[in-house]
Amino acid sequence: MTFFQNPEFGDRIITLMAALVLVLQIAAVGQRWLVSSIRIFAVQSFLLATIAGVIAYFNHASHIYVVAFLTLFLKAVLLPWLLEGLVERIGIRREIEPLINAPLSILIAGCLTLVGYVVAESFYHPEETSVRAALGHNTLGVAIALFLIGFFTMLNRRKALSQVMGLLSLENGLFLAAISLTYGMPLIVELGIFFDVLVAVMVLGILAFRIREAFDSMDVSKLRKLRE
Amino acid sequence: MILLWLLIVPLTASPLAFFLRRRSVMEVVNLAAFTILLCLAAALGFQVLRSGPVSLWDGFFYADDLSALVVLLTSFVALVCSIYAVGYLRQDERNGIFREKQELPSTLVIPKLREYYSLTPLFVFSMVLVALANNLGILWVAIEGTTLASVFLVIFYGRETSLEAAWKYAIIGGVGLSMALFGTILTYYSAHQALGTETLAGLNWSVLVENAAHLDKPTMRLAFILILLGYGTKAGIAPMHTWKPDAYSEAPIPAAAMLAAGVLNCALYGLVRFYILTSKCLGPQFASHLLILFGLLSMGVAVPFILVQKNFRRLLAYSSIDHAGIMVLALGFGGPLGVLGMFLHMTFHSITKPLLFFCAGNVQQHLKTDLFREAKGGLIHSMPLSGVAFLMVTLAVTGAPPFSLFLSEFTILRAGFSGGYLFLPILFITFLVAIFSGFLIHIARLVLGPDPDLPPAETCRWKKSSVVGLAVVIIVMGFWIPAPLFRLIQGAADIVVNRR
Repeated sequence: MTFFQNPEFGDRIITLMAALVLVLQIAAVGQRWLVSSIRIFAVQSFLLATIAGVIAYFNHASHIYVVAFLTLFLKAVLLPWLLEGLVERIGIRREIEPLINAPLSILIAGCLTLVGYVVAESFYHPEETSVRAALGHNTLGVAIALFLIGFFTMLNRRKALSQVMGLLSLENGLFLAAISLTYGMPLIVELGIFFDVLVAVMVLGILAFRIREAFDSMDVSKLRKLRE
Repeated sequence: MILLWLLIVPLTASPLAFFLRRRSVMEVVNLAAFTILLCLAAALGFQVLRSGPVSLWDGFFYADDLSALVVLLTSFVALVCSIYAVGYLRQDERNGIFREKQELPSTLVIPKLREYYSLTPLFVFSMVLVALANNLGILWVAIEGTTLASVFLVIFYGRETSLEAAWKYAIIGGVGLSMALFGTILTYYSAHQALGTETLAGLNWSVLVENAAHLDKPTMRLAFILILLGYGTKAGIAPMHTWKPDAYSEAPIPAAAMLAAGVLNCALYGLVRFYILTSKCLGPQFASHLLILFGLLSMGVAVPFILVQKNFRRLLAYSSIDHAGIMVLALGFGGPLGVLGMFLHMTFHSITKPLLFFCAGNVQQHLKTDLFREAKGGLIHSMPLSGVAFLMVTLAVTGAPPFSLFLSEFTILRAGFSGGYLFLPILFITFLVAIFSGFLIHIARLVLGPDPDLPPAETCRWKKSSVVGLAVVIIVMGFWIPAPLFRLIQGAADIVVNRR
């Protein structure tokens, strides 16, 4: 069982899982059912928690275990559960036709992935031959791609909850960047960020619910009274 | 210890108001909390002036002149807003705002008041935490906290338009702040390589600034751009300003005043901290050019919207975008003069802006509209006090000479010329003059003119006293700045210039 101690093995796992996260994200771009995009988010969060766990194991960094556990509990279980409950209550299950159709959106997501890798390139220092630098390089590319695709999703979708999902995948990208670049932020900061994300989802959920009540729709493009 | 009290006071006032059932008690708790907070903030200011930076818990909390100044301004704004809020919310109740479709006489009032009086201390708590956190990650958490605490203040009236405003505010703020978080992560990464620490201190500003010269340069470059976009969104710099007019015109007046005069300072505070790191790492050129670009862009965007504005609440928001632009521009001009000008402007703006909001609030509550079209003018006849104060504060906020904002804008102008720019300061003056004339025409038309025979406005002593008191402070500050306050401003500027 020596390969369990081999850091290179850990890096392979991490890169593999980061790639899976990216594939899921691109799948989410073409997804129109709200519940499926919430489930995709849950699986992504589960993978991110695993990545954090693997990093913690190979680097003997115990504080990352806490982060991994919190990610698992909050983002893979609690938030999806809350969001699915919200979808039930609002009673809107499907996204209306996005501004850009699915095939083109997926193509754009692919291009954004390329952009992510190009940006990540500038952080790669080849003179640093440590395994860690290479790890950072690969996962950072994925992280920036996640960030950009989340951004794109928010622009492309019109339902309030889909925009929240976009914001969440943006945040997942940031989490991956933090964990791959620096092995996570200091624990207290991570706790603060988790708290903020949780409260933000609740606040946005309540807002979405009230928008649904007031406008009888969750289409954010109907919010257009405040104009110059 | 004083740092801890500054956080505990607003944090206890919030749940306290939540469990109270009587309006008068809620008002007393709110006023008492913010009075204590202002005293504590003043004490912190004196302590920092006397014996240098204060820190607590291994530098987890840290206050130098810059933080003390922001805390002082925040607590001042919070106090005047809470005094005004008492009168404002009572008037709302008399106008029957809380009695919506259902004929419920007073059941809705107490929950609404509870919402206001328990959310504002939370809001102020996060603003104070922004200034006191040494850790840049906690700084981010606190700035995000200001958004979350104020979203429900924006939908206070529950109108459809308030929901729209709150949605824009939350989503644009959320995206902006995620960019700021990315910038913070990158800063941590660049420090990580230089310092090699995996401890909490790796994100502490006081540690980073010591080692700023060794930070990874390409990383810091990207980090600063992201931070500028992120905290710039929160400060409402163009082109990320679109949430501002909506949120400012939908939130209740005292909450909007806190957004305009409190959150703006906090966001700029975050930006200044990163500016210090960046200019120490990369030299001042890179950051300055970006700041000048965004500053002038914000001022330029504000000009046409102020000139053709139909709604006086939205007019105030564009004024706030303009002032955010002025401060960012001042930081971009840099040098001792530019930075001093920025902090002078921040101080005077925080003192002047709330009065502008209060006067607009009085007018809106009297006329029950915020459109210039529906207001016939001649307000000075039915509300002499608010009318005169509105005219005065319009002159003050647009930087007319006897008032203090003229001093700071003049300082910034000099900084621009002495920084070797010629065209940019001229553009700055052009924008200022355009905004001045647009603003003055709108407000003069609203306040002056023949008597439209409106009933005299009800005079509430809470509203009166906050307007008169603040007007006196503004007039006095035009001629005399208290010496300790000026030393605090100088100290803050010194931190930026000498990058201690």
